[in-house]
Amino acid sequence: MSAPAGSAARSECGNCQHFEQGAAQLERELPLLRTLSSAYSSVRARDGLCRQHERYLSASALCAQHAPA
Amino acid sequence: MTEIADTPPLLARRESLWTELLRREDWWAIWIGLGLVVVAVGLTLTGGSIKWLAVAPSKWSQGSEVVAQLRTHAPQYLALFALWALLLGIGSSALGSRWARFLPAFAAIYAVSLLLYLLGQWDQASHYNLEPPLVALALGLLISNTVGVPQWLQAGLRVEFYIKIGIVLLGASLPFTLIIWAGPVAILQAAIVSLATFGVIFFTAKRLGLDRRLAATLGTGGAVCGVSGAIATAGAVGAKKEQVSIAISLVVFWAIVTIFVLPLVARALHLSTAVAGAWIGTSEFADAAGLAAAQAYGGYAGHVPGISGSADAAVNAFTLMKVIGRDIWIGVWAFVLSIIATTRWERTGVNSSTGAGEIWRRFPKFVLGFLLASAIVTLIASGYNYAEYKKVVLPALVAPLQALRVWAFTFAFLCIGLTTQFRQFIVGGAKPFIAFTAGVVVNVILGFVLSTQVFAQFWTRFGQ
Repeated sequence: MSAPAGSAARSECGNCQHFEQGAAQLERELPLLRTLSSAYSSVRARDGLCRQHERYLSASALCAQHAPA
Repeated sequence: MTEIADTPPLLARRESLWTELLRREDWWAIWIGLGLVVVAVGLTLTGGSIKWLAVAPSKWSQGSEVVAQLRTHAPQYLALFALWALLLGIGSSALGSRWARFLPAFAAIYAVSLLLYLLGQWDQASHYNLEPPLVALALGLLISNTVGVPQWLQAGLRVEFYIKIGIVLLGASLPFTLIIWAGPVAILQAAIVSLATFGVIFFTAKRLGLDRRLAATLGTGGAVCGVSGAIATAGAVGAKKEQVSIAISLVVFWAIVTIFVLPLVARALHLSTAVAGAWIGTSEFADAAGLAAAQAYGGYAGHVPGISGSADAAVNAFTLMKVIGRDIWIGVWAFVLSIIATTRWERTGVNSSTGAGEIWRRFPKFVLGFLLASAIVTLIASGYNYAEYKKVVLPALVAPLQALRVWAFTFAFLCIGLTTQFRQFIVGGAKPFIAFTAGVVVNVILGFVLSTQVFAQFWTRFGQ
C-alpha cells in the first residue's frame, strides 16, 4: 500500500513545476493579500498558484497535467 | 512589492514540522509574544519587572509636556526600539527577509508609531476624533495613495505579524476564566452570524450566476475571517486566481469602510465598550481591521459622555468574538467546502479534495499563544489576593504587557493603510460586489441585534 501512497504524493500539485507557493511571490501576485492577511499565515497551509490552470490550489490537489518539478 | 524573499523551493515543497515552526508567522508570533510574557512573569516572580522597558507615553495637554516626556524617557524609547528591532528582525529573517532591509523600515514605523501613541495621549484627542488607530490608518492610506510608499519601507510592512504578536500579548490581560465563561456565547453568536452571512453571500452570488467557487470564497471572506478566510477556502475549493483577487479586494474595501463606520455608529448610539466590541467582533471582517475599530472605540471610554465601560473591554470582547468565535473555525469551513466542491460542483480538471488534517493545517496557530498567555498570567495572578494583585501583578506584569500590546497594534494599524493602494482593487464587475455587499448588510445588522439586544446583558456583564 505504501507505494501507491508515495506515488500519489509525488504527483500532487505541491511537487509540480507549474505550482508557485513561495510566500513572497504569492504576495506579489495577490498584492492586497498582505493588507489584512499574509502568505506566511498558517491558514494558507501550502496553497499556491497553478500556472497551468490559473487557479489557487491546495498543494495536495491532483491533475492530469502534472509535471514533476 | 514586499521585500521578503521567496521560500527556498525545497522547503516550500516539503514542509516538515520544524519548517512549519520556523517559517510561519503564526509560530513566530507565539515565540515573540509568549517569550515576552514568560520573561515578564519570571521577573515579576523574582521581584523585578519589565516596566522600565515597556515604556508608553502618558497623558499631556501642552506641547512642552511632550518634549519633556521624550527627553526624560529617551533611553527607554531607544531600548524598546532595540528590543522590538531584535525580536521582529529575528522573526522576519526566519521568514526570509534581510535584516539590513527590515531594520531601517522598522525604525521608520517605530518612530511614526511613537508619534501616534503620543497623539492618543493628548487630552483633547477624543474631542477631535483623533483616535490613534484611525489616525494611523488614515495616514497610511493617504501616503500610499498619494506620494506612495518608498521601496525601502516595504520590508517593514507586516500587518499580520504585528497584529498576531499583539493578540498573544493581549492574552496576558484577559483572565483565562473569562475566556472559558464567555467563549461559548461568543461561539454561539458568531456561528449564527457566520452561517447567515455565508448563506446570503453564497446564494446571492449563485442567483446572480457567479461561479460557486467564487461564491464560496466570497462567503467565507465575509462570514469567517476576512482575507484569511477567503484564501483558505479558495485553496480548498480550487478557485481561479482572479476570483481570489476579487474576494480579497472586496474584503479589504469593506473592512476599511467598517473600521470608520462601526465606531461612529456605536458612539452615536452610546453603546458600552463591551457591547460595541462584541458588535465589531461579530461584524468586522479581519482581525487587524476589527482591532483598529475596537481600540478606537475603547479610547472613547471616559472621554465621551454616555459611553460606559473600560477601554480594554472593547478590545477584549472583540477578541473573544472574532478570534474564538470565528477565526478558529476556518479549517472546518475549508474542509467542508472542499468536500462539497469535489463531490457536488462542476469539475475543473483539478481534484482539490483534502483530508481532515486540513483542519489543523489551517488552524490559526497564534491563537494557542493567546490562550497560553492568558492561562500563564491567570495562574500567576491566582496566587495573589485582590489587593496584592492591584499592588504587585497589575503594575509590574499586566500593565507593561498591555503597553507592549498597544505598540504592536499601532505598528499594524499604520501598516494597514500603507499596504492599501486603491488602484490594486479588482472588483470584477457589479455581481460580486452586490453579493458581498448583501452579506455585509446582513452581517452588520444581525451582529448589531445580537450584541445590543439578544446578548446585550451578557456583554454588559462581560464588560464589568
